Parts: sequence; C-alpha cells; structure tokens
Amino acid sequence: MIAFDRVSLALGSFSLNDVSLTINRGDYYFIVGPSGAGKTVLLEAIAGLHRPDSGRVLLRGEEITALPPEQRGIGLVYQDYSLFPNMTVADNVSYGLRVRGMRKKEARAEVAPLLDRFGIGHLADRYPGTLSGGEQQRVALARAVAVKPDILLLDEPLSALDPVTQEKFIADLKRLHREDGLTIVQVSHSRREAHLLATRMAVIIDGTLMDEGEAEVVLNTPRSREVASFVGIENILDGMVTANDGGHVTVDAGGRAIEAVTDAAVGEEVTLCIRGDDVVVAVEDGPQSSARNTMAGTIVQVVENGPIAEVRVDAGVMLTAVLTRRSVQDLGLAPGIPVTLSVKATAVHVIRSFS
Amino acid sequence: MKTEALSTDSFPADGESAVTRWREHRGRYVDWCTVGFCILGGLLVGITVLALANITMTELADPAHLLKVAASSEVIGSILLTFGAGANAVLLLIIFGTPLAYILARSRPSRFKGAVESIVDIPLILPHTVAGLLVYLLFMRRGWLGAPLSEIGLAFEDAYPGTVIAMLFVASPFYVNTMREGFEKVPVHLENVARTLGAGTFTAFRTVTLPLSLRHMYSGAILAWGRAIGEFAGVIMIAYYPFIISTLIYYSFTTDGIHTSRSIAFTVILVSFGVFYLLRRMTRYLGRYDDRV
Repeated sequence: MIAFDRVSLALGSFSLNDVSLTINRGDYYFIVGPSGAGKTVLLEAIAGLHRPDSGRVLLRGEEITALPPEQRGIGLVYQDYSLFPNMTVADNVSYGLRVRGMRKKEARAEVAPLLDRFGIGHLADRYPGTLSGGEQQRVALARAVAVKPDILLLDEPLSALDPVTQEKFIADLKRLHREDGLTIVQVSHSRREAHLLATRMAVIIDGTLMDEGEAEVVLNTPRSREVASFVGIENILDGMVTANDGGHVTVDAGGRAIEAVTDAAVGEEVTLCIRGDDVVVAVEDGPQSSARNTMAGTIVQVVENGPIAEVRVDAGVMLTAVLTRRSVQDLGLAPGIPVTLSVKATAVHVIRSFS
Repeated sequence: MKTEALSTDSFPADGESAVTRWREHRGRYVDWCTVGFCILGGLLVGITVLALANITMTELADPAHLLKVAASSEVIGSILLTFGAGANAVLLLIIFGTPLAYILARSRPSRFKGAVESIVDIPLILPHTVAGLLVYLLFMRRGWLGAPLSEIGLAFEDAYPGTVIAMLFVASPFYVNTMREGFEKVPVHLENVARTLGAGTFTAFRTVTLPLSLRHMYSGAILAWGRAIGEFAGVIMIAYYPFIISTLIYYSFTTDGIHTSRSIAFTVILVSFGVFYLLRRMTRYLGRYDDRV
C-alpha cells in the first residue's frame, strides 16, 4: 500500500539512512526501536511532513514523494495527542471535515456517532484541557478517524496511559484494525505492545532499518544481534560452529557446546538466540527431558516481575529462563539450588555473521 | 495551644484560620530577599510615580490653562495624527511582520536566520536619530525608495507617510519579536496534525496557529503602537511636519517655553494612559485558552 524505497533524510544532526519498507493494506505495522532511533521522524515522513533527501515514497504503486500531507489521506495521532486547545472536543473531531469545506453544523452532526462510538459523546462541548489522558487519547483517535484515512499513524499512543486505560485502548485499536479494516502503523518501544498488536514490524536503530517482516518472525528469529537484544531475547550467545551433521550443528559458546539447526559451516562465527521461555528448568530429581541441549547449573538469581520470574542460571555460560512465579514456587527455585536446563535444538535461533 | 491546632489543620476550613495562621507567621519570619527585591523595585517605580506626581501637582495648580491647551485644535489634531499614524504603522506591521515572525519561529537555526534576526533587532540598538537618518536617506525625494515612490505621488518628506514609515521602522522589533515568541509557543505538532487532517499550510496557520497566538499579536501590537506614538527623533528627520505629539511638545518647549509644553505633555499622559488601560482591559480575555493539553 505504502512503500519506502531507499529513503534517506537528514534533520539537523539526525538522519534516516537508506530506509526501505513496505506496508500492505490491512497491516498492523509496528515500528519499534530505542528512544532517539528515528521512529517518529519515520512516521512523520510517511505522513509527508518531511520530504526525503533521496529515495522514493510510493502509495498504491504511485510515487507520492513530493505529495503534501493534506493530500495523502494518512491520519496521525501523536504521543502528546496534540489536540487543539482552543477548540471543543466536537470541534477538534470535526476539524478535518470543516477544512474540507463542510459547514460547522453539518460537520458536528457527522461526527456525533463517532463521538458516541469512542465514548466521548458527553464531552462534546468540553475543552481538551479539562479531559483526562484517556479521554484526550480517544478524542485524538476519533479526530484522526473522522476523515476516513487509508492509513492511521500512531506515535506511541499507549505510553502516557495508566495500565487499565492501556488495556481499554488496545481493545479500541484492535477493533479499529479488525472491524474497520484500517491499516495502522504504530511507533512504539514496547515489545509487549508489538506482541499484542503487530502483524508486521520494523526495527529501527540509529536511523537505520535493522529488520523488517512478519511480526512473529522479527520477534522470534531476528536478523542481527542488535535486533535480538532489542526484541527482548533473554539469551544471546556468541560462538563458533565446531560440527555440522546435515544441518544439526554444534556451537562452542564460551566453552559450552550447544546444538542448533542451521546451515552454518564449521568454523563459522555465529550468534545464538534462545528465548527465556524456551529454557526448561528442572530440579535434579525432576523428569528427564528429550531436548538435545541439557546443561547442569546453579541458580544465581531469581528476579520476580509481576506474574513471571526470570531465573538466572550459571551453566558454564549464563542462561536466563522465564517461568511463571507459581512454577518458581512449586519447584522451590532459589539462588544456590542446582538445576538442569534443557533447550531444544530447534528453539535455538542462529544468526550467521554474514546475514 | 494555637500552634498545635494549626499544625493539625493543614487545610484551614475557614478564612479565620488562615488569617490566624498568617498572623502567627508574620511576627516570626521575614523573607529578607523578598523585602530587598521590593525595596529595589520600589525605587524604580518610585521615580515614575514621583515624575507623574510632580507634573500632576503643577498642572492641577492651573486647571484653566491646562483645559485651554488640551482643548486646542492643534493639540487634539496632533494627538489624533499621532495615534492614527501609530495605528497605521501597526497595521502594516501585522501585514508584513506576522509572516516574518512565523518564518523566524518555524525555521531551523542557521546563519541566514541569525542574520535576519539581527536585522530585525537593528532599530532596537540604534540611537533614534540614526534610525531616523536611515529612514530619511532611504525615503527622501532622492532616496532609493523615495525617488520612485514620489514619482507615483507618494511623498515621505514632511508628509504623513513619512511619519508612518519612521514609526514602522522603530516599532517593528517590538511586534515581530513578540509575535515570534507567540508562534514558538504553539507546538508544531498541532500544525502537523492539522495538515494530515486536510488543511494546507496556510489553512493550518489560519485555523490553528494564529488563533493560538492572538494574545501575542495583541501584546505585540500594543507594544509597537506605544513605541510608535512615543517616537520623536526617528520621525523628525523625515517628517518634522505634520506635527506629531512629540514634535509639538518639542516645538512648544522651544518657542512658548515650559508652561505650554508641560500642559500638552500632561494631556498626552492622560490620554495615553486612558487608551492603554482600555486596550489592556479589552484584550484581557481575548485569545485565552486552556493550555493544559
């Protein structure tokens, strides 16, 4: 639907470098990356607010690189909502219709059902300054949707909301995406949001697109060490292939042999990525596992984080397993306890040095 | 006993408790910094108050003369001319200065921008006679702009347009800088959103940025107008005639002496004070909005 073809753009000391990506109709596309990576600039470039120094932007196959934002049919909701403070909620939401020439009364009548749909009908005559963060968020979303855009751009829409409001808003977004068939592009630095919402995603670091593709693929089989680190893979180990038996390889990672599935040749340097929830922890007298990688070790640390816990184990190399808190309690896991870790060879994602 | 009651009631429910609390603290704690600042600031205000009191007492001692001078057609005409020329200068500033202020507010820092900002500020740092001379040299009958404009019938020397252009020159930084500050306070994100909603650059400016900057526009216009009507040296270089109020006071001072010129000055003080008070009152609630968003 919209594509960036080798787009570069310099804004003061910041630059986007040679970015190519494709957003298809119906995608819930996530742009993720650390703070200052250039996510918002990329979003604004999609909206047409920054003109690329080089490269092309295509919309439905037609070049729109020089097309101004008002002609693109792309809605934008900023992290700070950017509601017009001198206009009421109804005037904010009907703004897009008014600038298209609709009379005030007609525009207000047109957006009334939309206000009700977003649960802000009772706020129609209030000014944004008197609204809560969640209400402002809904007004901003309703305003963007009111002009029926082809694509909706969201700049970290959940970051300023409390957890309860976040859940409600995620439900709203899912509904917009599924029921309205809206193509949504969302900037975020939250892996959790990406897991919950994204169908496709791009990872941008320091203005450079590091990875792009189906969300599950990017999240579980990242293309580089940086991406693996950013998408939250708990165990990232550097090593060298010491044996290859028809695609089943053995990798020496810091003195510990780990088996994986890859085409990498013997002697090739690789990076191994193992998700924490793929690491199975058993106490010494527990059941045996059929996994190819079985390692004995000692628990170094247990970090509880809400309903889950990270168990860090010294097994020759430091590995982190992610379990529920209940499992940690049932197994009696605590620092100093000897355990056996097992990881299936297929759960080890291998990043080859040239990829 | 009292202290104990105060310490447990951190939010006094009635006015009496708050007053009691203030009295309790009054005797114990003196903020010498605030006191010192008040004394220093008071000295500055005091000079203005003294000067106004001085002229008021003197003028009120001879009200007949004051009324005679204030009611003279020469003074009334001059005041109207001055205020009218000032208003014309401000109108031109709104037309030409507002776009300039917007561009300065929205453009990224660069050498060129720095140079333009310095040029805008030049009338602030120049002696007024120098400013007047610059205007004269440019707009005199043989000047770069004066010559072609006089050919189409627009003369500046000793003419109303000369007064307006001199006022415009000296007042421009006040308007442009205030307006620029106003535009800078409007987040660019608001314009971006307006544009994605279908507004062109000018529509976004007209419907979002300008309404949110109205207070600055009013303030800038009032400041510039005040500066314009108070100009003397800048104006007399190009337009000694027709007499604006400053020129009339100077002329009266050098020909009739202090008595008449003081009465004209006092009349101007009263009128200016009244007009500025009214303007401030009128603009008190204009362009206000809740910016907690």
